[in-house]
Amino acid sequence: MESLGTPPGEFIASVREALGRKAGPPERPYDRMEEERASVEERARTMQEGLAVNRRVNVDELARVAALRGWVVHRASGVEDAVGYVYQLAEKMEARRVVRSLEGVFDDVPLDDALSSLGASVQVMAREDESAGSFNPTDADLGVTGVDYAIAETGSVVILPRRGVSRVTSLLPPVHVALVKPSQTLESLDDLYLLRRVAYLRDGVDAGSYMNFITGPSRTADIEMTLVVGAHGPREVHMVILDWGL
Amino acid sequence: MAEVKTQEFRRASATALANVKLQSYLGRSIGSFDGARAEAIEEISPQRWEELRLQARVIKRHTLDNLDYYLGLLRERVMANGGHVHFAKDAEEARAIVGRIAQTRGLKLAIKSKSMVSEEMGLNPFLESIGTEPVETDLGEYIIQLAEETPFHIIAPAMHKTREEVSELFGEKIGRPGLEEIEAMAGAAREALREKLVSADMGITGANFLVAETGTVTLITNEGNGRFCTSVPRVLVSITGMEKVVPSMEDLATFIRLLPRAATGQRISSYVTHVYGPKRDEDEDGPEEYHLVIVDNGRSRLLADPDLRESLYCIRCGACLNTCPVYRKVGGHSYGWVYPGPIGAVVSPVLVGLDRSKDLPNASSLCGACRDVCPIKINIPHMLLKLRSQLSEGSPTSTKKASFVDRVMARGYRRLMSSPRLLGMVRTLGLLAQWPFSRGKFIRRMPLPPFSRWTRTRDMPSLAPKSFRQIWSERLEGEER
Repeated sequence: MESLGTPPGEFIASVREALGRKAGPPERPYDRMEEERASVEERARTMQEGLAVNRRVNVDELARVAALRGWVVHRASGVEDAVGYVYQLAEKMEARRVVRSLEGVFDDVPLDDALSSLGASVQVMAREDESAGSFNPTDADLGVTGVDYAIAETGSVVILPRRGVSRVTSLLPPVHVALVKPSQTLESLDDLYLLRRVAYLRDGVDAGSYMNFITGPSRTADIEMTLVVGAHGPREVHMVILDWGL
Repeated sequence: MAEVKTQEFRRASATALANVKLQSYLGRSIGSFDGARAEAIEEISPQRWEELRLQARVIKRHTLDNLDYYLGLLRERVMANGGHVHFAKDAEEARAIVGRIAQTRGLKLAIKSKSMVSEEMGLNPFLESIGTEPVETDLGEYIIQLAEETPFHIIAPAMHKTREEVSELFGEKIGRPGLEEIEAMAGAAREALREKLVSADMGITGANFLVAETGTVTLITNEGNGRFCTSVPRVLVSITGMEKVVPSMEDLATFIRLLPRAATGQRISSYVTHVYGPKRDEDEDGPEEYHLVIVDNGRSRLLADPDLRESLYCIRCGACLNTCPVYRKVGGHSYGWVYPGPIGAVVSPVLVGLDRSKDLPNASSLCGACRDVCPIKINIPHMLLKLRSQLSEGSPTSTKKASFVDRVMARGYRRLMSSPRLLGMVRTLGLLAQWPFSRGKFIRRMPLPPFSRWTRTRDMPSLAPKSFRQIWSERLEGEER
């Protein structure tokens, strides 16, 4: 599709005129934008080495901050513990329809059999999966996903939707469970954006179409500034930290 | 463009001041925003907060000073990501672009997450007129849409509505009468909107930040409606003012630390959503088409004025509204256009014309609280003064010259203040003249306009029995002794 409205060249020229500056890059350059790609990558490497050293501290901080931001945090000591937690949650809330994504973490934490034994049907939100279509995903009462990163500073999980990972698995159901590996934990927003910047500089368009931070349940305070937890997204969110050397 | 009522500020604010219910409600509610902000700053530490504010200012200044360059880069990168970029010089052109996208693709149901620019454009009535149903999905915006009103506050559009009013509205408009609890009302809105959210063919969002380097649109939300708008519909359109660009992905960290804290006192909002164009082939879902509409609509006039340029640093957190003694009394609707409060008093006159907004720059005591709380330290009082001076001395957006009365008064004042003898004489006359009216330290009522207009709503301090000059010279004598 052609550009609609004012032609881009004309629009940008009028902005330039308003500024009274000449065409071209900034006269006084911005350090961050001048930095060579190799140097950005070097910073990212150093950062990741630091993360490996401080992993325990960051995971503890993640668990602490996430709980403050409204997550129900569970640190699972092993596979059985993690599966058992989700099983009990599903049992308690009488989940009938569970959606999950298609990603590696479900090899570490196989949930389907446990949930099926409760009589819940599990639907994988991915084209590649044949179980798709057994119920309408908008009717799901529990959604389970992995994450790409977790941020200790903010108590957030970061999800990059792609093959096998739908945007709505963590959005449609009223309850969401996020499975977090300690190795996915970052210390700060700076770490996350540095990594995403490196990914974009390396892969361009292939770095992905979307990135979402989730921090606690959805909420609104739009009527009389009174907080209501549970707006359009989930009202209850669980962070299960897979706390055994993953 | 959205209906402009900035010229009615006096009348509208008088009405708001006389509205007892609104006054008692505003008194109770707005302070809680301000308190939450202060707490969040205390938690992150005031020193750290200061650092972040300075970082943000540096980033904004650099980007705005080179905006043409970064808009070019942004366009290039959004297109590389597979998106379309359109530029609109004004509201009309922006409406036409969105309308064209909706019509050529036969889009019938548009779900919207909050966008102030779409308010500027008057987008909803326009979409209705071309047969695309617009649905606001942020709870506050939804209430406003049902009530056919305009937002009262930048981040809490329906904050002036009591639960009783919302209950009545839901009974009347969505067939859910008799709700008493706020939770039940939010639930009713969720149910009413869910079907629209999962079946819409068009998503419309604003943008909190645009990253030039990666062609990314960032949305900061709490309810989850923004995620629906960017995930479900097959066509996604983001509409944004051209000033929202930052250079690098790494710049976002600073702003995401600032915005939720300044706005609601949250450490981070529930969702931060980043859109890099349409879905890729391998993705499971997401929009097939992505459009970014970049709007000027008067912003280049702010950009061209070195004194007013920094008003474009604004990240729309609403902190200046919450702290402003004028906003806290007259409320959002009095300002008569999309942007209320101190920042609105700067931006609106330039965007809609100074001639018909001449009361806005004067709707401030210049106390400076807005600048103190601004996460980007925008010098709002300075800009209000600049606009006041344009009002009396003429400007590019005002054809008016200073009035005869203004000029005579200014000349008289200069003459008076440059002559101690004359000042003394006038003071003595004033003491005599105020004698029948003065009670204690104040004059509570004066006859005859223009004096009576002053004392109708406030007291006038009396001239003190001893002038400063007298006290000063007495002190000096005392010390010499």
